[in-house]
Amino acid sequence: METILQEILDGVVNGDNHLVPEKVNEALDKGTSPETLLNQALIPAMAEVGRRFEAGEYFVPEMLISARAMKSGLAILKPKLVKQNFKSYGKIVVGTVKGDLHDIGKNLVSLMLEGAGFEVIDAGSDVAPEKFVEIAKANNADIIGLSALLTTTMTNMKATVTALDQAGLKGKIKVMIGGAPVTEGYATQIGADGYAEDASKAVALAKQLIDRP
Amino acid sequence: MRLKCIGCEVLARPLYHAAVSSPHIVDIELLDKGLHDVSANLRTQLQTRINAIETDRYDFILLAYGLCGLSLNGVKSTTIPLVIPKAHDCITLFLGSRDRYMAEFRKDPGTYWYTLDYLERNDHGSDPVAMGVSYSIDLEKMYAKYVEKYGKEKADFLMETMSQWQTHYDRAAYIDLGLADGMKIENLAKEEAAKKGWKYERLPGDLSIIQKLLHGKWDDDFVVVQPGNHISFAYNEDIIDSQKNDRVPEK
Repeated sequence: METILQEILDGVVNGDNHLVPEKVNEALDKGTSPETLLNQALIPAMAEVGRRFEAGEYFVPEMLISARAMKSGLAILKPKLVKQNFKSYGKIVVGTVKGDLHDIGKNLVSLMLEGAGFEVIDAGSDVAPEKFVEIAKANNADIIGLSALLTTTMTNMKATVTALDQAGLKGKIKVMIGGAPVTEGYATQIGADGYAEDASKAVALAKQLIDRP
Repeated sequence: MRLKCIGCEVLARPLYHAAVSSPHIVDIELLDKGLHDVSANLRTQLQTRINAIETDRYDFILLAYGLCGLSLNGVKSTTIPLVIPKAHDCITLFLGSRDRYMAEFRKDPGTYWYTLDYLERNDHGSDPVAMGVSYSIDLEKMYAKYVEKYGKEKADFLMETMSQWQTHYDRAAYIDLGLADGMKIENLAKEEAAKKGWKYERLPGDLSIIQKLLHGKWDDDFVVVQPGNHISFAYNEDIIDSQKNDRVPEK
């Protein structure tokens, strides 16, 4: 069993989206549980991708290619995990803020979070503050992740934090922010719970916010 | 007054035009618009030029820029005060006020902007790339690089994923600055709009901010950054303010 887990892990790291689903199906046929495949192949694979990114060995394209391979495996596992009532690491609503249509960063963060075992609810792009709150509330989310590429739109992060506050959910639902013009200082200023510089750090931050190792 | 203006080349005609009628002595230096692609490059280059200006020669240094991503964040005044318009980027300077830009932006955030100087100064040898994002991408070059590195199938996937945001863009807006014949660029905007199925709009330009900058009429649309201070992102509708140099910006 360990060989096949390693093959899946390597397949994700190398971005092979043909090999990964093939091996996932093979492992399931041989009786490996979906949970084992997720926790011992897909998640550690994406952690390795994150490590390589932080080390400067991988860049955004490699990350995207690996994430696609991970998703091709996860797509097979998801319905089975749902059936088993598998608890995800945590629920995160992600989206780009009102007026911002640039979603590469948000999509990458979503993929890395999914690859770390989070359940990601993608609110899309150009999302109004009230919409974020509504989606987070409806899904009983732990975190809202906000992305902005432009200085023209990043002030809508503050509007979203305010909307959450007005709904009486500030502190209950954590807010993390990121994007090219965003800084740690801005996060503090608007009362967000955290800032992450890139998709890999976003995973670490989400784990920290959810207070699970 | 003797003024030194350092500006982005996309503002070439407006700057020269305003300098002609300025009551002051104005020297203009243009920097490559490509510097904008990497914020740190523009910031470093601009700071180098500012530092190189002879202190006894000018009363003020005018920066014909906006915040431009965060490119101008942290640019320091050394011995001569800096004057900078409160603007996110050059679109504000083409439209004449930050309120008008925000109204246009709110109306349609997915807009590609077309102006004469911006597009005719495209020296990358590729098709002109309109303004609309904080960086311009030479897509063909990028694709070739991906094919070589990852193979065709992965390259196709990457291009599709990384250009998905473009599908949300739906307007081509040509800003007529009224300074030279922009027919060629106007037609380009129309053609691209027709080809891609976007709306096309022609907006009259308003160069009053550039005029005021070069004419020394620095009202509420400007920040004067005194020596010992630097340009800083204000995080509010003022966009830009001035901070003491001991408060180091984060980016």
